[in-house]
Amino acid sequence: MRLAWRLALRDLRAGGRGLWLLALCLFLGTAALAGIGSLASSILAALDDQGRTVLGGDLQMRVSQRRATVEEAAAFSAIGPTSETIALSGMAQANGRPAALIDLRGVDERWPLVGAFRLQPGALGNRPTGLSAAIGPALAERLGVRVGDTITIGSARLKVMGLIANEPDQLGQGFRLGPPVIMDLAGLDATRLLQPGSLYQVRYRMVLPPGADPTAVGKKLLQRFPNLGWSIRTPTDATRTLRRAIDQLGQFLLLVGLSALTIAGMGVGSGVGAYLGGKTRMVAMLKVLGARSGLIATIFLLELGLVGLTSIAAGLVLGAFVPAIVAAIAGDALPVPPRLGLYPAPLAIAATLGLIVALLFALPALARARAVPAAALLRDLLATRSRPSTRVIGLMVLLVAALVALAVLTATDRLLALGFVGATAGLLLGLALLGLGIRRAVARIPRPKRPLLRLALTNLHRPGAQTDRLVVALGLGFSLFVALVTINSSLGSEMRDAAPAKAPRFFAVDLQPEDQASFRAAVARAVPGGRIELAPSFRGAIVAIKGERVDRMNPPPDSWMLKSDRTMTWSATLPPRNRVVAGRWWSPNYNGPPLISIGQDAADALDLKVGDSLTLSVLGVDVRARIAAIRAIDWSAMGMNFAIVFAPGYIQEAPHSFLATIYGPDNRDGEIAASVAKSLPSVTLIRTGDIISQLSEMIGRIAVAIRGAAAVTVAAGTAVLIGAVAASGRARRYDAVILKLLGASRAQVLGAQAIEYLLLALLLALVALIVGTAAGWFVTAKVFDLAFTPDWAAVRSRWSYRAW
Amino acid sequence: MSSVPPSGSIVITARNVTLALGHPPARVEILRGIDLDVTAGESIALLGPSGSGKSSLMAVLTGLERPTGGEIKVAGFDIARLDEDALAVARRGRIGIVLQAFHLLPTMTALENVAVPLELNGANDAFDRARAELEAVGLGHRLNHYPAELSGGEQQRVAIARALAPRPTVIFADEPTGNLDTATGGQILDLLFARFAESGATLFVITHDPELAARCGRVIELADGRITAERRHG
Repeated sequence: MRLAWRLALRDLRAGGRGLWLLALCLFLGTAALAGIGSLASSILAALDDQGRTVLGGDLQMRVSQRRATVEEAAAFSAIGPTSETIALSGMAQANGRPAALIDLRGVDERWPLVGAFRLQPGALGNRPTGLSAAIGPALAERLGVRVGDTITIGSARLKVMGLIANEPDQLGQGFRLGPPVIMDLAGLDATRLLQPGSLYQVRYRMVLPPGADPTAVGKKLLQRFPNLGWSIRTPTDATRTLRRAIDQLGQFLLLVGLSALTIAGMGVGSGVGAYLGGKTRMVAMLKVLGARSGLIATIFLLELGLVGLTSIAAGLVLGAFVPAIVAAIAGDALPVPPRLGLYPAPLAIAATLGLIVALLFALPALARARAVPAAALLRDLLATRSRPSTRVIGLMVLLVAALVALAVLTATDRLLALGFVGATAGLLLGLALLGLGIRRAVARIPRPKRPLLRLALTNLHRPGAQTDRLVVALGLGFSLFVALVTINSSLGSEMRDAAPAKAPRFFAVDLQPEDQASFRAAVARAVPGGRIELAPSFRGAIVAIKGERVDRMNPPPDSWMLKSDRTMTWSATLPPRNRVVAGRWWSPNYNGPPLISIGQDAADALDLKVGDSLTLSVLGVDVRARIAAIRAIDWSAMGMNFAIVFAPGYIQEAPHSFLATIYGPDNRDGEIAASVAKSLPSVTLIRTGDIISQLSEMIGRIAVAIRGAAAVTVAAGTAVLIGAVAASGRARRYDAVILKLLGASRAQVLGAQAIEYLLLALLLALVALIVGTAAGWFVTAKVFDLAFTPDWAAVRSRWSYRAW
Repeated sequence: MSSVPPSGSIVITARNVTLALGHPPARVEILRGIDLDVTAGESIALLGPSGSGKSSLMAVLTGLERPTGGEIKVAGFDIARLDEDALAVARRGRIGIVLQAFHLLPTMTALENVAVPLELNGANDAFDRARAELEAVGLGHRLNHYPAELSGGEQQRVAIARALAPRPTVIFADEPTGNLDTATGGQILDLLFARFAESGATLFVITHDPELAARCGRVIELADGRITAERRHG
């Protein structure tokens, strides 16, 4: 071993530069994996730290459309310091500008129990009181107001006392439709937005005594106040959704990173192959001098190990700094600032995966070097390029198994990871077969008469050609880009097409029953002939399925329908865009025991059939209803739809408000908003275009992350391309010399190579277009269940750019 | 650690050695029944035109090529029956080879090139002996130069030093001056024969140059894969 070390160091000292491709590929692959893993870990760690802050306490009790009774409030206060907040959507107006949708919160004097509420410099005090409000900077810009100016919300005129700099429990508020406005409870009362049936949520946050278990305390409160619409939330629950989203995105990116590492592995294979290929005569000479095959293999394994480990270490260092780098340059795009620190687990995983990939792809070249006979000194032996032995193949299979096992076992969602690994392996295998097919197809094309074109074409399939390898190495990254463009543009055109043609211009919420006529008149003034759909709405939660209480079910059903309370309606007739797929719709003047109709998705999720019963808690009153019909709902038109519709009758006694949708031309939004805001300032108008913009922005952010990961795969593929060019350098120089001897000019020699790479670029672009479009179609049509309508102009521009 | 056997003992025996390459109908007979006995201390020239099988005979005698048939014993080893690793061990310190294209290890200095066979043989004083050997071939001032920094003649001197350093039983030299100009070639041959005389080993030179052959004690002529003539000088 000492001799092997000595010889390896000696060889590396003078000839180690040949391993640059191995170093680059491993560095890139490991840095990508370590970086993605560290970033996800640092954000998750930050969420762990901020669980209490995000929730705003140790325990939260939430209820819809009502405030706690005296008894309930007393019970909460007995546990520990308690704060009350009320959240709802509303409209704010100022300076005669169009009314802006806002996320309104009334807070009591104890809020926030955890964390600090801060205002930007220049505020008129520390927090809003009475007829004053703190507003988000985005709202100030939109309404053109400054600190000290007045805005109108509902029936109240409020002074802007400051711009919000930090709202500690902002993340726990969930998806927001507009910028925040915070005021105290007196200010909120003055707006008169809290009416019977209005859609608002009331939260009570408590700080528990040290050592108390939030879940246990919350469950006790639920037992004391059962069936009254309360839901509990702990700091862990508060960050769970975000944790899951980050965890899943992190996992997805990690697996894309693993694909990049696998591609980089091909670069490792090329680099090591070229390096050891150049050592054939050296190996033969060492054997002539008395070196055994084992010693040869050990020497090269040590060389590759030293360079590989150094590169992996460098990649880990860069990866460890990725959270700090991302926080510095794109911190605003992150949901929470990452907790900077060293995260050993993702680094260890990245290092192990890097080592396995390096060994896996270096193994065939190592085995070939080991098998070089001493006779190679006398002539080039084709035998040295033979297939790996059964032992080597067995070892490679073991390494692949270790790679898959590590990728899957370290993932939180193992099934997803296994599916992704399987799909990626399938895609890589498909690309490999495609590459092989292209190589063989090119070999069968009749030879062109022009010698340079002939040379370029034969270079794509001659022995040692890297065409198939490059199709795999660059095909995956390019295909990802094409898939992203097709998915993005399909989603975009789906939203664009849906909005003007079929979607309403506005949703109106919190419309009181007595205001229907005023509302219709206000809309008619702005858009004569505009269409309005109105439906009563109230909130309720499913508390029992077929008579069995949901909270006592074992295991509890994991359905979106049960996650929180839902908006429901009643209707005598089948709502538009709905069709009955099972059962029968009730007669228009039905007046019997409660009947409901549910959407097909909900029925499937909860395994419900016509005739089954659901018990719904509506403002604390349990209503047991029989399912009379199951409906298929066309959600694509973005109109008003309800998963649960009651038959008219007893339910009409429940406090309710109305929801409305306004249809009209796309150039009257400003007039509609102004007219409704003037007549009914308490009605909240939500513009469909704003929701689409918010969704587009969210999709855009995810797309940026995926594009970043795709760029890493392309970078790895590019390294493979450079390696392939370097590996064939000797053959190309030989070709050039022969061509020049035969009379070719420098331009002709360069031309032949340019034609070769142009052909290769066209082939790669074609592969990316086919594979990427197929993947885009699958995701759009099969996963999102939308029409596949990519913007071919966008695809073409990205495609041709990438191809070059 | 000399492996030089007593003078007069047989160091190479070849019986009915054949070598054929390729498969029918393109099979080529390279060696056709070679019989040979070489005693320790002899200097032998293998003379013949291109394609006569000289280099192939050297390849089978050194274990670089496996014969198609026949028996070969070199320095007591049954060369024709050993596998690749056993052949490497058999050559270690017993067979020195000097080739026309030098074949120095490009990533090692002259000193390291000469030390390698000694290190492989487990010598503790490998670098001292390598230094002495290089000084003996007149390259004491080029110890730490890489092959690419040496002239052709200097590279061949290093190759000779490397072949002789372990004190082998047999030295094979295949066209040792083929890549050199006449003057340098002459110097290299003088050096080779001088070092051979000092070492007491057996020298086996492959050449198509009758003048070089004349410097050897025994000349074996080869044509079309067969020994066609053999003569001894004084």
